Amino acid sequence: MSRSTPLSNRIENWLPRLVLAPSLLVVLVAVYLFICWTGWISLSSSMIVPKYDFVGLNQYVRLWSTPRWHTAVFNLFVFSTLFLALTTGLGLLMAILLDQKIRVEGTLRAIFLYPMALSFIVTGTAWKWILNPALGVQKVVNDLGWTSFVFDWIAQPTFAIYCVVIAAVWQSTGFAMAIFLAGLRGIDNSVIKAAQIEGASLPRIYRTIVVPMLRPAFLSVIVLLSYIAIKSFDLILALTNTGPGSATEMPSTFMYSATFRRDQMGVGAASAMMMLMTVAAIIVPYLYSELKESRDGQ
Amino acid sequence: MTKLKRMLLAAALGLPFAGQAMAQTKIEGLHVWTSASEVGALKVITDKLKTMGFEWQDSAVGGANGANAQQALRTRVAAGNPPAVMQFLGFEGLGWAKEGVLRSLNDLYAKNGWKAALPPVMLQFLQQDDTFFSTPINMHRQNWVWANKAVFDKAGIAIPTSWDELIASAEKLKAIGVTPIAMSDESWQIEELFESMLIDVNGPDFYKKAAIDLDETALSSPEMIKTFELLGKVRGLHDAGFTGRDWAAATNLVANGQAGMQIMGDWAKGEFLAKGMKPGVDFLCFPTPTATPNYKFVFDTFGGFKIKNADIEKGQDAVAEAIMDPEVQKKFNLIKGSIPARLDVAMDDFDDCAKRSFSDRVAAIKNNAIYGSLTDGFAVEPRFSGVFQDVVGKFFVTDMSAEDAVKSLVDGINNAR
Repeated sequence: MSRSTPLSNRIENWLPRLVLAPSLLVVLVAVYLFICWTGWISLSSSMIVPKYDFVGLNQYVRLWSTPRWHTAVFNLFVFSTLFLALTTGLGLLMAILLDQKIRVEGTLRAIFLYPMALSFIVTGTAWKWILNPALGVQKVVNDLGWTSFVFDWIAQPTFAIYCVVIAAVWQSTGFAMAIFLAGLRGIDNSVIKAAQIEGASLPRIYRTIVVPMLRPAFLSVIVLLSYIAIKSFDLILALTNTGPGSATEMPSTFMYSATFRRDQMGVGAASAMMMLMTVAAIIVPYLYSELKESRDGQ
Repeated sequence: MTKLKRMLLAAALGLPFAGQAMAQTKIEGLHVWTSASEVGALKVITDKLKTMGFEWQDSAVGGANGANAQQALRTRVAAGNPPAVMQFLGFEGLGWAKEGVLRSLNDLYAKNGWKAALPPVMLQFLQQDDTFFSTPINMHRQNWVWANKAVFDKAGIAIPTSWDELIASAEKLKAIGVTPIAMSDESWQIEELFESMLIDVNGPDFYKKAAIDLDETALSSPEMIKTFELLGKVRGLHDAGFTGRDWAAATNLVANGQAGMQIMGDWAKGEFLAKGMKPGVDFLCFPTPTATPNYKFVFDTFGGFKIKNADIEKGQDAVAEAIMDPEVQKKFNLIKGSIPARLDVAMDDFDDCAKRSFSDRVAAIKNNAIYGSLTDGFAVEPRFSGVFQDVVGKFFVTDMSAEDAVKSLVDGINNAR
């Protein structure tokens, strides 16, 4: 910065930074400092309260020799993949259908969006009853006369995780739909009209022109849903409470029980670090590529 | 100084005693009691405290089996702002005592002769390196069977004398269209069943080796495999709707006659009593069946944190004295459903289940057959009991073999050491 710049210019340059400084400081302390602290705890022998000694990677070894942690990692993988694919797919489909200038669009939009207004605790509790073979779907169908009908996924250790997927998809699809709908509204109609004049069918227009134009919407949906998937703690607690027999354990529930119920703070911190690394490994390259392209495009 | 002397002295000096007309010191207590009977029982202690000149400042943190309260406490200790007194279960108090943050109650114990008034087996949870840090209010028994008498009569079942007999009686219950055993798929509730089998089938000495000393030979022994095989026989004796069921909901199935029995600690008794049912008439309570009578306990204690404030310290002492008051222990336990921690409280006003619990405890102390409950955190530290819970829970809901269960139990325990 040279001395000849007038003061007003300098203020103009520095003002946004000044305004943003407090929140930046809070983020630095509350997020990054504590990430470092957790990393440090994961290398210590902490049990009930934090201890600041150094035991190397002991807690990580202990973590990876715990079968319940393997279940948790596997479940997170199954749950996130299915949840992201189904929610994004269904959300996009519903948005496209709603975008066809139908009559009661506002009402439908409200109905589809409404589950998002419920907390995961409420969703989990409601689905717990719906999926319970002695109370919910199975009982209703049996009472209607189809007595051999069985739908007891929630009681089956192998299928219980899919029950969590069902409840989570039900909750979040409307939300994905709303973001896609906003994206669709932002697309210039003349593009579609031009393609129609060229004689392209509607599905093809969507596939080759509209959906690629929705990239920013995809970015928002995937980032937000990944975050929901990884922290899906309350849904599990309300729906299955990690049962049957810890079959629906997730890294987040594992971390909580290790730290606060089993006095293994070091193991809990190690599991938190593993979660952080997983998220970083997936999200960072994706964000990087997305943001880089948008910069190149300008 | 006796109470009478103190009162006379106070009267002679014209001092107001029992804190009337003085501002009462507030004593904050952090605990996990939130249900109706728990809150009612706690009021017995806090009323007593009032007469001693202290006001109880209630900090109840419910939920998550006490994990939330633990979290709240850790945060506050870390911030240097601990509550005056805290409720401890199992090894929690010992953990804090090792950190050196709890106040010693040795003077009070010595002055009042409390040590002699309590079951010896309790003491290891109340002191750390010969320093007493907490006082017990009650004792719950873990190994009970709760049964619906009308259902048992209809099915023509007598009180079983062995686990094999109990499992065989399930067929008769099925025949009259009743769920034999009210259960949940929650791991801890399955573990309640498992630990009863463990001590009943193999005897108290084996239980001590396996569940308390965590002796590797005992853990990997044929006895352990046999116990898992017995638990495997209970698979399928519950109804389809057992997913995520609350323990109290399971108790209510028994109370309503939809299920025959439930294996649960005596906190279940309150559910029957709340429905106006009478022990021996409408419902049965009997210890889990065994040839080697035993007693497994769970109890609640309160300890005080070191806080540099003379008034608070007096208050902490008052809490300990209120808790150890025989009359308070009696009234408290009549509401809570447990029995007094003290051995010298008259049991005349209690119901038959509580009387049975009391007399069985006396016998078990004599025979060295009284041990802490594994599930409820009085056998081993949570990181070990958690391993039992994981393995037992998984074993019950899958078709895992007993050998595999024992292997993963041994691996898990060694991993947590």
